[in-house]
Amino acid sequence: MVAFNPDETSEIARARLKKRSLNVQLVDRLFVAAVYILLATFLAIVLLPLIYIVASSFSSPQAVSAGRVGLWPVDFSLRGYEVALRDPKIVSGFLNSIFYTVAGTLISVVLTIAVAFPLSRVDFFGGSLITKLIVFTMLFSGGLIPTYMVVRSMGMLNTPWAMIIPNAIGVWQVILARAYFRDAIPKELYEAARVDGAGDIRFLLLVAIPLAKPMIAVIALMYAIWQWNSYFDALIYLRTDALHPLQLVLRNILILNTQSNLGDATAMLERQQLADLLKYSLIVISTVPVLLIYPFVARHFTKGIMLGSVKG
Amino acid sequence: MAVSENGDEIDRRGWRYRARRSWQRHWQLYLLILPPLVYFAIFKYLPMVNAIIAFKDYNVVAGVWGSPWAGWKHFSSFFGNLVFWQLIRNTFTLSAYYVLASFPIPIILALALNEVRLRAFKQTVQLVTYAPYFISTVVIVSMTILILSPRIGLVGDVFGLFGVPAVDFLGRADYFRHVYVWSDIWQTTGYSAVIYMAALASIDPSLYEAAKVDGASRIQKIIHVDIPGLMPTAIIILILGVGNIMQVGFEKAFLLQNPLNLSQSEIISTYVYKTGLLNANFSLATAINLFNAMINLVLLVGVNAVAKRVTGRSLW
Amino acid sequence: MAGVELSGVTKAFGGFHVIHGLDLKIDDGSFTVFVGPSGCGKSTLLRMVAGLEDVSGGVVRIGGTDVTDADPVARGIAMVFQNYALYPHMTVRQNIGFPLRMQGAAKKTVEQRVSEAAEILQLGELLERKPAQLSGGQRQRVAIGRSIVRNPDVFLFDEPLSNLDAELRVSMRVEIAKLHKTLGTTMIYVTHDQTEAMTLADKIVVLRAGRIEQVGTPVELYTNPASLFVAGFIGSPRMNFLSGTYVDSFVTLVNGVSWHAELDIDGSAEILVGVRPEHFVPGPASVSLPLSVDIVEYLGGTRYVYAALPGESPLTIEDRGADDMQSGSSREFPLDTSKALYFTPEGKRLYALG
Repeated sequence: MVAFNPDETSEIARARLKKRSLNVQLVDRLFVAAVYILLATFLAIVLLPLIYIVASSFSSPQAVSAGRVGLWPVDFSLRGYEVALRDPKIVSGFLNSIFYTVAGTLISVVLTIAVAFPLSRVDFFGGSLITKLIVFTMLFSGGLIPTYMVVRSMGMLNTPWAMIIPNAIGVWQVILARAYFRDAIPKELYEAARVDGAGDIRFLLLVAIPLAKPMIAVIALMYAIWQWNSYFDALIYLRTDALHPLQLVLRNILILNTQSNLGDATAMLERQQLADLLKYSLIVISTVPVLLIYPFVARHFTKGIMLGSVKG
Repeated sequence: MAVSENGDEIDRRGWRYRARRSWQRHWQLYLLILPPLVYFAIFKYLPMVNAIIAFKDYNVVAGVWGSPWAGWKHFSSFFGNLVFWQLIRNTFTLSAYYVLASFPIPIILALALNEVRLRAFKQTVQLVTYAPYFISTVVIVSMTILILSPRIGLVGDVFGLFGVPAVDFLGRADYFRHVYVWSDIWQTTGYSAVIYMAALASIDPSLYEAAKVDGASRIQKIIHVDIPGLMPTAIIILILGVGNIMQVGFEKAFLLQNPLNLSQSEIISTYVYKTGLLNANFSLATAINLFNAMINLVLLVGVNAVAKRVTGRSLW
Repeated sequence: MAGVELSGVTKAFGGFHVIHGLDLKIDDGSFTVFVGPSGCGKSTLLRMVAGLEDVSGGVVRIGGTDVTDADPVARGIAMVFQNYALYPHMTVRQNIGFPLRMQGAAKKTVEQRVSEAAEILQLGELLERKPAQLSGGQRQRVAIGRSIVRNPDVFLFDEPLSNLDAELRVSMRVEIAKLHKTLGTTMIYVTHDQTEAMTLADKIVVLRAGRIEQVGTPVELYTNPASLFVAGFIGSPRMNFLSGTYVDSFVTLVNGVSWHAELDIDGSAEILVGVRPEHFVPGPASVSLPLSVDIVEYLGGTRYVYAALPGESPLTIEDRGADDMQSGSSREFPLDTSKALYFTPEGKRLYALG
């Protein structure tokens, strides 16, 4: 029989643990290196195409057309931007988009608050029925043609209204706003306001809206970006070129290869080269407004996604 | 029952009392909510009523109610059409491919980001990968076309490096789905990862401490702590994806379409657009749409039942 | 100014009753405190007076007018909430002036009344600050300021001090008492803290499970509680309860100590004897109680002795002696039986005859 020695066993155990933790440390270091490589790859995959587009947009028509541009401008030139900004269609598309975005966002935000605030009040009779009816529209819709018929019968076809009204309220935004009004504004404030003699509308204007500014900013940005980026409503509801938003103009030039006004370039070859270059400049022009504000709003957007996940 | 000052009996129970009280107290809110309700009635519920033309031979002169009934004619003509199975297959394959391929990548990105201690690097990766989400569909599709263009695009150069002739990805039907799905993954991975990042952030820190005390390596920690913590979110997202499987967005598929890839790129929503608005066959287009919407509804309700059982809560 | 009258007031959520047909008259100009353990319905009752909660039955009158279905603002009340409910985006000045602006008062009037209120509550230098920049006590003063500018007929306080630390609670309590003296307006105050109730109230309403247990002045409730519940709830430290028997006009404790008492029952019964900590003093009707000492707490002038009869839970004894008292030791304590109260085991008060 060997005498049982507790000290000895614990020493062995400690040594084993030490050895194991050395192994763990080595594996961990390799793993962290792998993680950084993986993330760098993600970064490169997202960044390279963007850099390529920007680099091309600042290159000469000949270099772009010959496919000579990589990740740095070749024969630096601003020809693409010059042509783009001289094109009346592109300029009018840009201005139209600004108008649709501003007006549409304004109307959308007002209507969203008008529906979300009453639904956030617990003792609002009929609120749960209305909520169900609204959520149902997310699950089932009459479809493209029946909706088109409604817009047509309202006389909105080929008017700016068609860009602003038919998709004015997003159900997701309503759910988000309702959750915010209900959960982020203490119910005692509402009660205090009732005692102080503020009716529902005055409470909304003087208390709820000032306190819901972060949420309102988020839904406004959601609507604005959606409005700026969409082309489908314009495609089906608008005929007149003068009403087209930027995205539809882009689609015609970028994807359908409709010749734009290329100014003084007359030679066939030059026209083709300019048309190629123009696409890159246009992509940059149309995307820069959104990406410029993006870093400032990204944080709020993240919050917005989280707010939405608070169940309605 | 209570008796008020003037002797009237007031029943304070039941919905009638609550409704009257709510109106007295909140009439301003009822006025406020009226315009949005009118909006929903006109632009969401009226189209559902108009969808009745799927069972009629609609013509503009007679209007929705004046047009003659056609029964199931448009449905059977759609089912009998050769294009029917092709549309179903294209829609389903594209969607299923997308759901499966786009599911794991944001999770990997989130798990990897969660391991990074360098704040600046972490934020840069997050900011950059999130950015494409804000680019419009038109621009994404144009970028895809330009980059994949054999003549001038970036990909042509890469093929050139290896001395291989460039592949025309958009000119061949077989490549359509890959182009569609992977360009979408490029655009949305960073955005989707945010949801998983939040789920990771909400994991109880004491679990990590316990793992550390137990001598777990980082990989073990991911397997035993991170991934179980992500599961509920991941399951909901997967289930939602399955629920929307017959609802591929029109916008992108339509833009990526060209005569060469139509055999795989024609999906239900693009076909409805062409039938209805380009060929002006309102009733047939509505019938196809209605058929699709019903499948969606059944799928969503079914999927919600599954979600309820798995996660214990309803998706809506 | 106005009194408040509740008659037959009930409140039910679904089929569940939280207030059971309750009658109460609150005098004009009085300071009334609703007190009771959490869940007794005291806050609900206050909110029904305020009009924030619909009544399920009965009538609420303020100043003789039936306000059962009236809006809060039409009742002439002002309310101070537990978490202050200040509007976070408004300055102190705007917060206090808010009710006046809602009434459509002229700018000048608002300014004047706000500065009057600020003077009463010493908020002068804080008027341009936002609530987030204030301490808890300052916030509470702003909440009170917001309620006094309207010159309400009735002030309602819903546990206003429970978010403050102990020291501040005492000084705010004094301020509220002063305010009542200055304004002379009817005040109704809800708290679960019996000390607040005792120090502030003209009249205390003890609530339990949606029913009124007893209404009375603090002294009445302390010296003459109507039930075991009130006796146990009012007073700090709590009243001691000893189990005993009543046979032939004699009360006997478990350890055999007994004394003469004429109670309002026939024959014999199990009873509970209630003795306040300060009634362990010698007197003409004292008996001697041998107890074993658990712990002694010194509070300066006085001390609390926790001591027990064998097999019973410890009693709290207020003692002014200065001699050394070891825990674990046994000794005799005098008990003034003339001050003892008697209850049935179900909690009903047994009154002494004569």
